[in-house]
Amino acid sequence: MNATLKPIGVVPLGEVPEIVLKSIAAGILGYLKLNTELLEPQRIPENAYDLVRQQYDAGLLLNAFESLALEKHEKVIGVLAVDLFVPILTYVFGEARQGGRLSLVSLHRLRKNSDGSPAPLPLFLERATKVALHELGHLFNLIHCEDSHCLMHFSGGLRDLDKAPPYYCSYCSLYLRDAIPSNAKNPWI
Amino acid sequence: MNKKISIMIVDDEMIVRESFLHWFKKLGHKVEAAASGFDALKKLENVSFDLLFVDIKMPGMNGIELLGKVKEGYPDTIVIIITAYGSIDTAVEAMKMGAADYLLKPFKPEQLSLVMEKVAHQKKLLDEVQYMKGRLERISRFENIIGQSDPMQRIFDLIPEVAQSDTSILIVGETGTGKELIAKAIHAKSPRAQRPFVAINSGAMPDSLLESELFGYQKGAFTGATHPQKGFLEVVAGGTLFLDEIGEVSPKMQVDLLRVLEEKKITRLGDRSPIAVDFRLLCATRKDLEKEIAEGRFREDFYYRINVIKIQVPALRERKGDVPLLARHFIEKYSHETTKKVNHVSREAMQLLQTYNWPGNVRELENAIERAVVLSKSRTLKKEDFHFLHPSPVRPEKPRSLREMEKEYIEFVLDDCRWNVTRAAKILDVNRVSLHKMIKRYGLKRP
Repeated sequence: MNATLKPIGVVPLGEVPEIVLKSIAAGILGYLKLNTELLEPQRIPENAYDLVRQQYDAGLLLNAFESLALEKHEKVIGVLAVDLFVPILTYVFGEARQGGRLSLVSLHRLRKNSDGSPAPLPLFLERATKVALHELGHLFNLIHCEDSHCLMHFSGGLRDLDKAPPYYCSYCSLYLRDAIPSNAKNPWI
Repeated sequence: MNKKISIMIVDDEMIVRESFLHWFKKLGHKVEAAASGFDALKKLENVSFDLLFVDIKMPGMNGIELLGKVKEGYPDTIVIIITAYGSIDTAVEAMKMGAADYLLKPFKPEQLSLVMEKVAHQKKLLDEVQYMKGRLERISRFENIIGQSDPMQRIFDLIPEVAQSDTSILIVGETGTGKELIAKAIHAKSPRAQRPFVAINSGAMPDSLLESELFGYQKGAFTGATHPQKGFLEVVAGGTLFLDEIGEVSPKMQVDLLRVLEEKKITRLGDRSPIAVDFRLLCATRKDLEKEIAEGRFREDFYYRINVIKIQVPALRERKGDVPLLARHFIEKYSHETTKKVNHVSREAMQLLQTYNWPGNVRELENAIERAVVLSKSRTLKKEDFHFLHPSPVRPEKPRSLREMEKEYIEFVLDDCRWNVTRAAKILDVNRVSLHKMIKRYGLKRP
C-alpha cells in the first residue's frame, strides 16, 4: 500500500447505493494500492440540470465540486445515480479533466444492458469500478490508450465497457508509476 | 487511432469548443480552437492541421464558406461539419464540397469514435498519396533536374543514352534554363563519372586568362608566372570539361580548342613539349551559333566539332506545366534552409507564377521563391508575396498554328478550373467527352 500519498476520496453526489461506493473503493485499493476514504454525501446543485436535455451537465458539476475543500485527498471520485452529458455528446459514463482533482462516475446507464434488460449486480458493480478507475487514470494525466485490452481504451458504449479489462496495460501502468512517484519505489504492477 | 493528429475546433459557442478540447486532449491529440471562420483561416496560415471540426452556423463566415476556403487552400486538411440543426440539403452540399463527414450535435460517444477511426483511415490514405506524390516527384527529377513536361522527359531519356559515348555535346538554351545541370547529369551518368567535372564560364574570362586557365603555363611564361601551373585540360584528367557560354570564345581560342579536340594534346604556355590529355567536352550556349557563323563571329569547323549532338533546353515559359513542381521544390528547399515553415502557395499566387513569362527561366523562379519565402510572414505564399514580378504581355516569338493556340488555351482553362473537366468543358462550350478526347489528343497532363 502506498502510504506517502493522501487517500483517494469517494463521494456520493445525491443518493447512491453504498455497495457501489465500497466496490469502487475496493477496486482502487486492489488495482492501484492506493488508500481510499468514503466521504459524506453531497447534494447535486440544481443548476446542473438541463431542462431541454433532461440530463446533468458534467462540466457544471465538475466546476461546482472542484471548489469543495478537497485538500485532505489526493483525488476525489464523485459518484452519481443521474445521467450525465457534455455539450458535444449525448451522454457520458464518466467525466474528468486531464490532471484535474475531481472525476465523476454516472451509474445511470450502467444498470441496464444494451438490450434494455437489467444488468446483474456483479456486472453493474464491475462497470462502475471500471469507469471510476478509467476516470482516475485521467486525473493522473493518462490519455486514452490505443490498446483495446487496457482500461484506458475509450469505451463508446456498454459493449466496449464490458469488453475492457479492469486493469491498465503495461504502458499505462508504467505511466501511472511515473505519475505517482512514490509508487515507483514500491511497484504494484 | 495509431497516430496522434492535430485538430482544430471551429465553433462560435465556447462551451462546445471547450467540450471538444477536453475530449480530444483525453485522446492525446494536439487540439486548438477557433471562435470563427476568420480565426480559423488565420490559424491555418501559420499552423498545419490534419482535421477540422467546423460548425455550420457561425456569424460572419458560415461553416460551408469556411469549408470551401479550406478545401481550396489546404486540400489535404480533413473537414468534418457539425451542426445542431440537421438538414439533408446542407449535408449533401457539405459532402459535395469535400467534407469527410457530417455530424449532428450532440453525438453518441461511439459515433465520435467511429468518425475518428474513419479520419484515421482517410489520413492514412492521404499519407500514402503524399508518399506516392513524393515518388512521382523523384521520377520527375533526374539528377537534380526537375520537370515532368514532355520536352524535359525527352531530355531525361536522352541523357543516359548520350552519356555512354565520348561524343561532344552542345547544350543550347536561354540563360537560367539549367544547362550546367544537364552537363553535370551527363557526366554523372557517363563512364567518366568517377573523374573530375570541370566547369568554366568562357564568357566571363578574357582570352589570355582563358588560355592560361585551359592550357596551363610554365614558370616564366609571362609576368607573374612564378611557378608552373597545370591547366584545366590537364586537371580534368579523364573527366568532363564543360565550357559554358562557348559563343563568347574568340576565334583564336576556337582554333586552339579545335586543335586540342583533334590531337588530344596540349602544350602549356611557355613550353614546347606536348602533353596528352583525355577529356570529354560539353559546351553550352544561349546564342544562336548558326547566326553567329553566318555573321562571321563563330568558326563553322569548330561548331561542327562541338555540335555532334545538340540538346535544346526549353525555356520555362515553354514548359509552364513544370512551374508548380519547380515551385514546390524550391519552397521545400528554402523553407528548409531558412527554417521557415512555408509549405503552401495560394491558388492566386500559383496562377501568377504560371502566367508570368519568366525571362530569367528556372533561375528567376528560384530567386523569386527564395525571396518570397524569406519575406513571408505566414506558411502560405500569397500573390502579394510575389509583388515584384511584373507580368509582361506574352508575345509569341513567331506566328503559331491554330492547333498550338487551341492546345494552349485548353490547358489554360483546365489549369484555371484546377483540372475540373466538367467546369472546363462548360467554359469551353464543349461536352466532357470531347474535352477528354482533346486532352488525350494534345497529350495534356494534370500538373
